[in-house]
Amino acid sequence: MASTRIPPSPETQADATPAATSAGFLANKARFRFFGLTLDGCIKAFFGGNAVVAVLVLTLITIFLFKEGGGFFAQNRANLQIYRQAGLEYVDFIRAQTTGHTALTHELSDLRLRQFHRLTEAGKSLAEANAALAGFDEFANQFGDAIIPLRGLLSDLTETATALKSKFATTENLKIARQQLLAAGKTAEADKIVISEVNFDAELKPLLGTLPAYQAASAETAAKITAALTVKPALPTPELQARLEQFKMLAAAYVADFPAVEKNLRAWDYRQPVPFFRSITSFIFGRDWIAQSSWQEWYGILPLFVGSLMVSFVALLFAVPLGIGAAIYINQLASPAEQRIVKPCIEFISAIPSVVLGFFGVIFLGENLRLLSQQSWLAWVPGFPFSERLNILTAGCLLALIAVPTIFTLAEDSLNNVPRAFKEASFALGASRLQTIIKVIVPASLSGIISAVLLGLGRVIGETMVVLLCAGNRIAIPDFTAGLAVITQPVHTMTGLIAQEMGEVPVGSIGRHALFMIGLVLFFLSLLINWLAQKIVRRYRIAID
Amino acid sequence: MSAATLSPMERLPAPPPSSPSLAVAPVAAMSAPAADLPPSRPIIDIDHVDFFYGQSQALHDVSLRLDEKKVTAFIGPSGCGKSTLLRCLNRMNDLIDGARVAKGSIRIRGIDIHAPAVDVIELRKRVGMVFQKSNPFPKSIYENITYGLRLQGVKDKGRLDAVVEKSLRGAALWDEVKDRLHASGLGLSGGQQQRLCIARAIAVEPDIILMDEPCSALDPISTSKVEELIHELKKEFTIVIVTHNMQQAARCSDQTAFFYLGRLIEFAATRTIFMNPSNPQTEAYVSGRFG
Amino acid sequence: MTSPTATHFAPRPGLGRTWERGALWLFRVATYFIVLCGAFVFGQIFWRGAPTVFTAHAPFVNVAFFTEAPESLHVFAYQGEKMELGDRAFNAFKAAHADAGAIKDDSYVYSAGGIFPCIVGTMLLVAGSMGIALFLGVSSAIYLNEYARDSAFVRFIRLAILNLAGVPSIVFGLFGFGMFVIFFGWNVSLLAGWFTLAFMVLPVVITASEESLKAVPKGFREGSLALGATKWQTIRKNVLPYALPGILTSSILGIARVAGETAPIMFTAAYVVRDKLPWEGLEKWTDFFFQGVMALPYHIYVVSSKIPQNEYTARVQYGTAFVFLLIVALIASTSIVLRSRLRNRYKW
Repeated sequence: MASTRIPPSPETQADATPAATSAGFLANKARFRFFGLTLDGCIKAFFGGNAVVAVLVLTLITIFLFKEGGGFFAQNRANLQIYRQAGLEYVDFIRAQTTGHTALTHELSDLRLRQFHRLTEAGKSLAEANAALAGFDEFANQFGDAIIPLRGLLSDLTETATALKSKFATTENLKIARQQLLAAGKTAEADKIVISEVNFDAELKPLLGTLPAYQAASAETAAKITAALTVKPALPTPELQARLEQFKMLAAAYVADFPAVEKNLRAWDYRQPVPFFRSITSFIFGRDWIAQSSWQEWYGILPLFVGSLMVSFVALLFAVPLGIGAAIYINQLASPAEQRIVKPCIEFISAIPSVVLGFFGVIFLGENLRLLSQQSWLAWVPGFPFSERLNILTAGCLLALIAVPTIFTLAEDSLNNVPRAFKEASFALGASRLQTIIKVIVPASLSGIISAVLLGLGRVIGETMVVLLCAGNRIAIPDFTAGLAVITQPVHTMTGLIAQEMGEVPVGSIGRHALFMIGLVLFFLSLLINWLAQKIVRRYRIAID
Repeated sequence: MSAATLSPMERLPAPPPSSPSLAVAPVAAMSAPAADLPPSRPIIDIDHVDFFYGQSQALHDVSLRLDEKKVTAFIGPSGCGKSTLLRCLNRMNDLIDGARVAKGSIRIRGIDIHAPAVDVIELRKRVGMVFQKSNPFPKSIYENITYGLRLQGVKDKGRLDAVVEKSLRGAALWDEVKDRLHASGLGLSGGQQQRLCIARAIAVEPDIILMDEPCSALDPISTSKVEELIHELKKEFTIVIVTHNMQQAARCSDQTAFFYLGRLIEFAATRTIFMNPSNPQTEAYVSGRFG
Repeated sequence: MTSPTATHFAPRPGLGRTWERGALWLFRVATYFIVLCGAFVFGQIFWRGAPTVFTAHAPFVNVAFFTEAPESLHVFAYQGEKMELGDRAFNAFKAAHADAGAIKDDSYVYSAGGIFPCIVGTMLLVAGSMGIALFLGVSSAIYLNEYARDSAFVRFIRLAILNLAGVPSIVFGLFGFGMFVIFFGWNVSLLAGWFTLAFMVLPVVITASEESLKAVPKGFREGSLALGATKWQTIRKNVLPYALPGILTSSILGIARVAGETAPIMFTAAYVVRDKLPWEGLEKWTDFFFQGVMALPYHIYVVSSKIPQNEYTARVQYGTAFVFLLIVALIASTSIVLRSRLRNRYKW
């Protein structure tokens, strides 16, 4: 070691040689070494290794979500493929036709209900009201019965297609079993498994052969509906009369659409391959999430996504004004004693576990909100009264309580960071407290407040237990035609669905992969929100400098 | 650049660019008052050092030789690089991001302290340091002083006791604290705390003690006590002290180096610097005309 | 105009003033509304849960609720008398009364007995995951605060920590399920729950630890290094001891989070019901780590969503929520109190 010593400069050499030993700070001590690292180096490497854990976890989350969710699109494509090959798609063309009819009959029964109310309110007895509606009922029945020929055909076809699909599934299962046996080296047993490939061409013959029958049934239905529409029942008020006229127009348009359906049926070809992007678009834009169905499974994230957004939106609607208002009050207006007491109280709310809030919603808030909504003096509130106690509003109120502490704490922090000088300067110019707050303090901390709101959104959109327990868990896009009343409808959310179905889907099934896909969407959504919040805060810092 | 915006650097005569006059002249200056100073040999040899914090250069071509068992004062206005140079001597600058000696070398007893073979831990044991703000650890006085020795693995109670007494006596603190050695070091007054830090530094028996403005946060009485202490300490240690206070430099140092804007302007015996500086910048500074 | 100053500085009543006062009141109302909402949730659960947890006579606490496992509640009429008995008591009753065989009873699952296994499970989950999280988190913080220089890599680590903090808990649950339960084959087990929860609170612990390390003055480090201490000696003897109280108290907030989360343990560690306690019937000691447990938050989820609500089930529902909320609130308030006290104590 001593040989590595740098020779001292000539003028000090004479002194240096005897002194070198007494200097003694050369690394001539045999220090412990491990893979060429000193003890301190090892310790540093150890701590450094731990610091990487955060990066590692983030990477692993990404990897495992992709690993478990990655197979989804291929499986979904196969799922869509068999939907076509087994003729389910064909049958669904006809089914859509009958569904359209059902929607129209719902409209009719609603009309009847209103007339009935009108009549009973006018003082007629039930029997009298029913008698008065006889004409309308006849019309409605005629319209309702018109679909019978088509419906009969549909149920036959449904059976055929389902049988074909299950036959295909059996074959696929046999193939897998055989491959497993082959992989295990049991060739003899594998050979015993007889696989008869499904001949779609032959199997679909009877299905496609029903086209003339369909044409006949369709024509019959169309004729009956047209005949029914000629009847003109008289309705008690012009308002309802107008609705009936509108109904008739809708019905006429519905019948006019029949040829298009037939055209679809004619053009339909089971051999047409399902392109891969359909698998992706049907996930992103699909309006149905139907898992484990005997007919066809659909995995469209749209209703869940909309549900999550709606719930979060309602939550922020409450939480943002409250959280920011409280932050301004505590930071700018409250006395020190008030600050000392109220601040921990609000922070304390964040300690309430979400499952307890969810429980509170199920057992108390939901029912009481419903009762409140039925008070007549609150009837002006959109959506009131409602009958479903678990809905967007219930979940939103509770989520607001979760978001408030986050928004409050972060907004208060950013208000705190506004230099005192700003405030003093504003006061010195004769501004009042409110003016100072609105014109100086809030603008100066605006980006901090915005990022607080964003992080509150992140908190709310990723929240599971409250929405699982309180959002109503109905997988459907809420009916936006109801206007603001939409917030009293039940929805299902991305987080809630994962929590609900994870325990029920078998390993390797498309359903499980679909859930992990939702997880991926959530994961990247949260990263996006975080990134936005950070970006906004960073811009703000530069602006202050 | 117009005349109106001339920097002080340009108004004052620039320091000699080449090293011989600087590196040798101080030695000559030092040997001149040999009559009143005992002869000694250089222990620290700073040779043409350029020092950078990231992109900004803090020291320009500084060369100095400091003698053993002498007190050397670094003076100069704020930001002139004196503290930087001091912190180079035990490589405390290693802790700062982007700080590096770009050129030149610093040798202590002939050994380049930036050489790869040098163990910085051993170096710091030999070169102790007292900071501007007294920083006793929140432990008892006794533990503060034995901290360094315990690190070296000394466990012998008798020896530790002896060192504590010796160091505290050495730091002129023994009489004040001998009855409460196990009380917290944070309970002492500011001046006592600083002397405790000095005691802590001398407990590990270094060769050199670096003091970075040790009295800047102290009241005049505490300051004079520390100054007296420095006088005592130089019997055993080489002391380098950075100070803002020129009276202090005049009172307690043997040699003084004047820095300005990262350059060494003049280095000579303290009396020479204060009575008869050879450089007009030095004269301007010591006579209080700027700084 | 006799006294111009008086008129100049006199307050001017007007619409603006009223507006301003109104607006400032709005802020105050918002603040207290939040506090009231929080207090109401607490109050409601405490009020309804207290009868289950406390009793009117000594020892004033419902011991059975804390020490027994959940059972089904059997409600029946016997000889004109209404009886409510748990599983074991009901069986004993039937054995004791020959004519009891034909009793028609209504049974409600989980509505009798207590929540002892859930408390135990939650404590095990918290202890293990906090152990892991503290070890990883404090080490990370030491690296970031003491060793790391500002480099692209360190910035990347900080970014990762920041982002990890925003990942929804259910995603941690999915991840834990995919990695520990399926890929490592640990099944639904304590170990899987520990790691899932530990990774979830890691950002909290790292941030808390870094804050505490930063609060230790730089002088302690410089002083120690200048005495010839190595970096590690400095950290071990002169930094960590002073940062540790802060690290631990701030991490208590992490405990509240770990204890309160349901989503991450739903598929990784929690059982709906398990007869054995974690230390019963172990064949090997390693089996301890590979068993699922009951946990309070999951139990609350189960009793609030999977069983009907009526007067019999509400007791156990509110009681469980009360105990759980009490535990979490105690942990959280300990953290808040200790933290403010610590801030006042250590002023260097």
